[in-house]
Amino acid sequence: MKINQKNSQSKQVKLNQVGVEQASSQLLTVDDLTKVFIKGQGFTKSTIAAVNKVSFSLKLNQPEIFTLAGESGSGKSTVAKLILGFEVPTSGSISYKGDKIAKLKGKKEFMRDVQPVFQNPFETFNPLKKIDSYLYETEKNFKMAETDQDQLVEKSLELVGLSTAEIKDKYPSEMSGGQLQRTSIARALITNPSLLITDEPVSMIDASLRMSVINLFKKLKEEQGVSIIYITHDLATAYYVSDRIAIMLRGQVVEMGSVEKVLGNPLHPYTQLLKASIPVPNPANKWASDIALSDLETKEYSRSGCKFSGRCPKVQAICKECEPENYRIEDRDVKCHLYK
Amino acid sequence: MSILEVKELKAYYSTEKYGHIYRVRAVDGVSFQVHKNEIYGIAGESGCGKSTLLKAVSGLIKPPLEILEGEVAYNFDDKILDILALKEDKQRRQVRGVRISHIPQGSMSVLNPVRRIKKSFEDIVDAHQKIKDRTCFDKMVKTHLEALGLDWSVMHAFPHQLSGGMRQRITIALATILKPDIIFADEPTTALDVIVQRGVVQLIKQIKKEQQNTLIMVTHDLAIHANLCDRLAIMYAGKIVEEADVDIIFNQPKHPYTLMLLKSLPTIGDKSIRASAPGAPPSLIHVPSGCRFHPRCPEATERCRKETPELIQVGEGHRVACFLEEGSK
Repeated sequence: MKINQKNSQSKQVKLNQVGVEQASSQLLTVDDLTKVFIKGQGFTKSTIAAVNKVSFSLKLNQPEIFTLAGESGSGKSTVAKLILGFEVPTSGSISYKGDKIAKLKGKKEFMRDVQPVFQNPFETFNPLKKIDSYLYETEKNFKMAETDQDQLVEKSLELVGLSTAEIKDKYPSEMSGGQLQRTSIARALITNPSLLITDEPVSMIDASLRMSVINLFKKLKEEQGVSIIYITHDLATAYYVSDRIAIMLRGQVVEMGSVEKVLGNPLHPYTQLLKASIPVPNPANKWASDIALSDLETKEYSRSGCKFSGRCPKVQAICKECEPENYRIEDRDVKCHLYK
Repeated sequence: MSILEVKELKAYYSTEKYGHIYRVRAVDGVSFQVHKNEIYGIAGESGCGKSTLLKAVSGLIKPPLEILEGEVAYNFDDKILDILALKEDKQRRQVRGVRISHIPQGSMSVLNPVRRIKKSFEDIVDAHQKIKDRTCFDKMVKTHLEALGLDWSVMHAFPHQLSGGMRQRITIALATILKPDIIFADEPTTALDVIVQRGVVQLIKQIKKEQQNTLIMVTHDLAIHANLCDRLAIMYAGKIVEEADVDIIFNQPKHPYTLMLLKSLPTIGDKSIRASAPGAPPSLIHVPSGCRFHPRCPEATERCRKETPELIQVGEGHRVACFLEEGSK
């Protein structure tokens, strides 16, 4: 009996080690992540699984831009909040370089390595505070510069195409949205991170300046080896900039794979609808057919079976009853009964 | 026949600071015509004056906004109405909602958060029509909502219970319940995701088809303009720089700014490098001399720095404000 126990224990230890070795080749692993929000009290109490069993991983030493895309209310921003630790997951785990984030003792190292860039650059910065102070404060908080403070600030500003002279002693109101967002990225780069989490970074920036930020992401990936999680609903820029993409619908990832495959030839009916709904800047290609508009959000969240079954043009009887599993087809994961 | 004619409109915001008057030249000499039953698009970046233009044209003038000069004439049932000449706000209010309607941006802040949606409908209908019988009111709203594919149950909801797309659709339903002749839509699809965006565009098209009204669409999203509009004007720093049919703007753009905007748009299936415009949009307090686009223009000459180009006709319904086109005419 005792020997058996010992044996099984040692086996477990071994298994754990294997797990750690596998995990340590990953920069970030998100495993079965679930976040349930509770709405109302007493009789009106209801739950919403904003993030429902989401799994993905980013490889170490292989910088890539990973896009999380989906309509508003699909849970993509909640994933970002969970990774950054603003929310606590209901179940599932997030591991960073093999260590579970929830169990990390010294969070500072993790915070230094994983940096956020937020959506609205006009709200990110305090309007009464000079903008360069954010850069120096980040440097101080993470004890980045031992000798020369200015040098590091100058270097990270240079990466985003700005200079210290341009932002010195300036308030946020004196700069354009594109400049502010680039400063926000420069602040994130001060700590020399290996992962940037960007939540809708260009949705508030003017059309003519948008590409400057998007091109910056490309440059950071190629030259600095920074991996980026790019959260957006703009599929045209997602296609332009990213390597892999995950399409989210009501908390679930319905299709995940390389961006050329997923957006070039979508398999899931929801991705097909998304692609067809991207407005094309060409008057010759106007939307021809009408689409079914979505129901109330809560209705879709609480739907058993496939969450898309209410709007899906290819709906079958089975879709309304049981939830589809992930099927691996043409180098991607698709969550649809059509591909059984 | 044109339903709206705007001539040399100048609308500035004036503020006083340390005894010095600062003028934000948001709309600086804009002229255009909108024909009956068409969808006229106005495109431009944020801060180029497109929302101010809408405010001025629909007579929503409150300090610090003031009209310096210009004329805004509507043509309703062959009667000319100069909205800027209407002195009292009361008179303007009678026009608004019935003749002119406005779909605002940011549906979250439009609907009153502590009142049910039905109350908002009651407010707008009661302000213009005297319906004593409530069942009559219910029937009117119901047929309108049904035509727009909205469920009656939303009437009893509070705004926070609805998603952004649903709120935007309700705002559109509110703006069109009295069947206005002309609708101004100010960025109705911004901040919505692609599918809801498509739904909103679909809805606007449907309303236009049913009620036979004219629509002025303001958004910075050129792809939406391509899908919806008949004619398109491009605004830059308070001025219209190019105006033409949508097909012409997208296929044969003339102004360097239009070219630049179109070039920066990424499309699926094309991963080639897209460049962004150098520099940033100018401040409207200290506008650049001459052509306002010259600091960012790749083809700027000495003349562009000194003289302001006029909007000139270069083809059938195609107007451009650029010195480069003057020579080719």
